[in-house]
Order: sequence, then structure tokens, then C-alpha cells
Amino acid sequence: MSATAGAAAGAGYAADQQSGGGLVIALLLPIALVNLVGFLLPVVNLALISLQEVQASGAMTGGWSTAKWVSVVTDDFYWELLWNTIRTSLGITLATLLVSYPIALYLHRSSGLWRSVLLVMVISPLLLSAVVRTYGWIAILSDQGVVNSVLKAFGAAEPWRLMFNLTGVTIGLTEILMPYMILALVAGFGRLDPRAEEAAATLGASPFRVFRRIVLPLSVPGIALGSLLTFVLAVSSFITPKLLGGGRVFLLATEVYDQAIVTLDWPLAATLSMIVLVVFGIAIAVYGRLVRSIG
Amino acid sequence: MDRRHFAKTVLAFACGLAAVPASAAETVTLMAYTGLFQDRYTQAVLAPFEKANPDIKVVFAPQPSSGAMIGQLRAQKAAPQVDVVIMDVSVAKAGADEGLFVKLEAKDLPVIDELYPNARIPEIAGVAVTFDNLVLIYNAEAWPTPPKGLADMATPAAKGKVVIPGIPDIQGMSMVAILDKKNGGPGVEGKFAKGIEAMEAIAPNVQTWEPKPEVYAPVIAGQATIGVGWNARAQVNTDTSGGKMKAVIPAEGTAFQINTINLVQGAPQSAAARKFIAYALSAEAQKTFTETMFYAPTNAKAQIAPAAIDRTAVKSLDKVVPIDWLAVAKVRDQVAEAWRRKVIPLSR
Repeated sequence: MSATAGAAAGAGYAADQQSGGGLVIALLLPIALVNLVGFLLPVVNLALISLQEVQASGAMTGGWSTAKWVSVVTDDFYWELLWNTIRTSLGITLATLLVSYPIALYLHRSSGLWRSVLLVMVISPLLLSAVVRTYGWIAILSDQGVVNSVLKAFGAAEPWRLMFNLTGVTIGLTEILMPYMILALVAGFGRLDPRAEEAAATLGASPFRVFRRIVLPLSVPGIALGSLLTFVLAVSSFITPKLLGGGRVFLLATEVYDQAIVTLDWPLAATLSMIVLVVFGIAIAVYGRLVRSIG
Repeated sequence: MDRRHFAKTVLAFACGLAAVPASAAETVTLMAYTGLFQDRYTQAVLAPFEKANPDIKVVFAPQPSSGAMIGQLRAQKAAPQVDVVIMDVSVAKAGADEGLFVKLEAKDLPVIDELYPNARIPEIAGVAVTFDNLVLIYNAEAWPTPPKGLADMATPAAKGKVVIPGIPDIQGMSMVAILDKKNGGPGVEGKFAKGIEAMEAIAPNVQTWEPKPEVYAPVIAGQATIGVGWNARAQVNTDTSGGKMKAVIPAEGTAFQINTINLVQGAPQSAAARKFIAYALSAEAQKTFTETMFYAPTNAKAQIAPAAIDRTAVKSLDKVVPIDWLAVAKVRDQVAEAWRRKVIPLSR
């Protein structure tokens, strides 16, 4: 290739690259716009509300103040609330993982029509509102519900307190978040090659050893994704803790509701919402690090 | 349908629209509580108003709480979609401070002069449209001997069967204020410390501080047997449950809750809205609504049937503990903090 031809080719490549870059920007523009209007601006607005002054009556009359941030940072109650939210959400995530894993593995290994039927059964709860499903749990867990009626039939004198406490919230949220965990796990099982399990079994590994050394390590990406989804949804869950918590289980989301709707303290609600966003950010960073370390 | 037929249909529809009189376009939007309140208010107040004013239609925009209403009003501040709002007095104060409402005055609405003096509250823009009061509710099967007061909720018979909408709900706050007064507390000045102390005896028996959808349903169903509620809804639920649930004014006293009616600043149908507010405050509407839902009237001229007035707090005014909700708002955070630290842990 002559020097002139090479220069012309180089110029053409640069021009192509430039028009390609323009196309990429043009293609990204709509989603960037949607993110700007649908996410970034509301978050900025939320941050601004958290810095507004609020009167005792709940009125916001335009002044600026960092009082809510100061009170949240200096009050033990809000640290306790944050810790309680993280601990409860982690517990719910673990419970959801434990009950969802066998179902997801069975679903991964099934095939044909049976697999489709199972998949529909897993997804179908998502067609119902969380409110309806939570009321369903009230019917099951209340003092006169299904569980306590059975216990009573077997001679239990006192009803077992299964709701209006952390137990009820954990049971309800675990069931409600299971579809998300199962779908994430099934998606993550893509790396699971049945031939690797067969090879391990042929070499004399027990079923438990096959699970521990082959199945579990290969499903870590699915576990990480499902756990991230479940944790984030548990932290932001509001209806189920409100209905099944009985006013005893204080979580960030329920506190945001109380401050925004009952006491009208929007700046405090906005401050707590920003803290929820920080928790989400940390969860996503941990997930990203885990995924990178898996390689 | 062929092209000619389609064109005729469109033309007829357009002519039909054109034939609608301009006055029929006056639609007042009323924002108020959903559920029982909406049903009864529509029947007792909206329907007769529309009958008397065929040129005005009132659309009910339901919301679950006053807090949710103020959220809507703030969002619509630049272009209001609502004309009239019925909400709790403490939330109405926030709305008045933010300039969301027009000050209602007797010179524009002469009916205001017919209201009881405590229906006109200087710090808020609207006026009181209903009075309600706290009652003790109980399951009549579980309590063959009716409970007398709030203290019954601390007895062994109530163990695990008490339902109270806790603080920050104003029912919880009312209960604390009543118990504070009963135990010699100074009220707002003492941040209701005596009331919080008295609640510590009741807390271990509480089943839930968040009865949903309302406090009445678990008591009727027997899931709980005793609690506190608002008189108007309690009276209706007493009737609809066939007497399974009953209500009494607690021996320790009761507290008023005031619902106010407010005209939204920049209301799209301001003139028609004023007409509606005048009707809602009139002796006629107040009589009908009290007889339908047992809220105590705010119009002094309303001639209520004795059977209905007996089911309101009107004849028990000596038992009413006065609560200045606007003063309570100033100490609400401290009371809520004491509640969370001293009362809630005892119920776990």
C-alpha cells in the first residue's frame, strides 16, 4: 500500500469512527434523557427537599436548613433504624435464597412442558399485588388463621404469635420476593454443565460433595444477582412490613412513609430516602466487586 | 358501517356535544377520605346538593389520609385540580401556612356565623365541618361486662387482644393526652410524660399498633377484643356488625378530632366550590350527615334527631379533654421519641 493510499484509508477509518461515535451518542441519547428526567432530576429534587426548613405544623415555607441531616446523623434511633433495616433485609435475603435455591435448581434441571408449567407457577405470584398477597398471609398467620387453627386442633392452648412482629415480616417478605430470587438463580445456572457433575460422580464424589464442589461454586453469579435483587427489594419494601409488622418493626421504608404521610415531615422523609439510596449504592458496589472477583 | 353512516354518526355526536348547556360544565372536585366517609358523605351531602343545584356536579376525589391529601395539593400547587378539601385540622394548618387554601370568612360565607365558636380556628384558612371523638371499642362477645375505660386495656383479660393506632397516628396521640390529663400531667408543657407513663401499663397487652385497614375490623372479627377508634366510624360499624362491636366514651375522658373544610387557592371552580362549602356547613347538610354517620355537627342551628345526637359526644362535653392540636404539633417529635423508646419496646 502506498503512503497516499494508506493516508486515505486512515482518513476514511477516522471518518467512519467519527460517524460511528456520533451514532452511538444518538442511540444513547433517548435513554440518557429518560434517566435524566425519570431518575436524576427526582433524586436532585429529593436532595433539595431534604434541605428544606419545615415548621412544627409540617409546613414547608421555603427556608433552607441542614437540621434534618444533623438530627438523623446524631440521633441513635436512626442509626438503630439503619442497622435494623440492613440486618432484617440480609436475614430475609438469606431465607429467600435458602428456600428458592432447591426450587430454582429443580426448575433448571426440568425440561419440556413440565418446565414451562413450573416457570408459570414461579412467575404467577408476580401477577398479584403485594398488598393482596400480604393480606393472604394475614389470613394464614393471624391468631385465628390457618396455622393457629391447626395448632389449636392439636391442643395448643395459646395461639402462636406469627404476625405483628419480625417473624411475620420475614415470612411474608420471603414468599413475596421468592420469584425474583428464583428467576435470577435460574438465569445464573447457565454455567452449570451437567457433564461436570456426571464426571465428578463417576470419579466417586458423593452427591453432597458434587453439590459443594461443583454446583454451588458455579451458581455463585446467580446467587449474587438474586441476593442483590432481593436485598434491594427488601430494603425498599413498605406494604408488607407495614401490614405484618404491627407497628413494632421499624424499617427505613416504613419510617419514610410515617414521616411523609402521617407527620408531614417531608424533609426528614427525603433525608431517610437519600440514606436508602446510599444503602442501594453500597449493595451494588459489593455486588460489582463480587462479580469481578469471580471473573 | 359505511363511510356515509360513519360521517352521520360523528356529526350527530358533535351536535350532541354542542347541545350540552355550558352551565353543566361546572364540576366541583372534592377531596376527602375514602371508604366509609366517601360512601356516607356522597349519600348524605353530595346527592342532595346536586339535586338542589343541577348545574353543579361534585366529583369525589378520595384519599386515604389528610397527609396524602396535602401531598396532592403540594404537587398541584401551580395548577390545582381540586376545589374543596376536607381534612384533619392539624394538617389543614400546614396547608394554611403554605398558602394552599383561601381564608374563608363570614362576610363571603354567612353560614360561618351559624357555626359553634370552636369551629372557627384563627390559624387555619377553612372552618370545622365535623367534630368526632375518641371512643373505647370492644367485642361484645368477649366482653359480656362492658369495659369502662382505657385502664381495662391493661387488665389480664385484654392480654394480646388490644389494638391501638399508635403514634404518630392522632388516635395514639389523643389517648396519651387523655391519660396524661387523668394522671395529673401538665400536657404540652410536660410533653405528655404522664400519659406515656400510663401507656407503659397497656403496651404489653397490645397486639398491633397498626390495625389495617382500620381498627374496627379486627375487633368485629374477634382477632382483637378491645381498642380505641373514632366515634363516627365506630357507631356505623356497631350497626353494620349487628352489635358484635360496641363503643363507649372512656371513663378517663375523650378528645375531639376536627375535620375542616377548605377552599383550595386557585380552585378551578371557585364560585361553585363556595356554594358547595356553604351547603356542607348548612344546618340541613349537618343534620343529614350527623344522622347518617354520627359526626357531631359544627352548625349550632342543626336540629339533629335525638337518637342520633345521643350517639355523638354532644351530651358528654364534660368528658372532653381539650387538646390544642396546633400546640401538640410543636412537641410531636419529642412525644414520638418517648413513645418509641418507652412504650413500643414493652409491647415486643
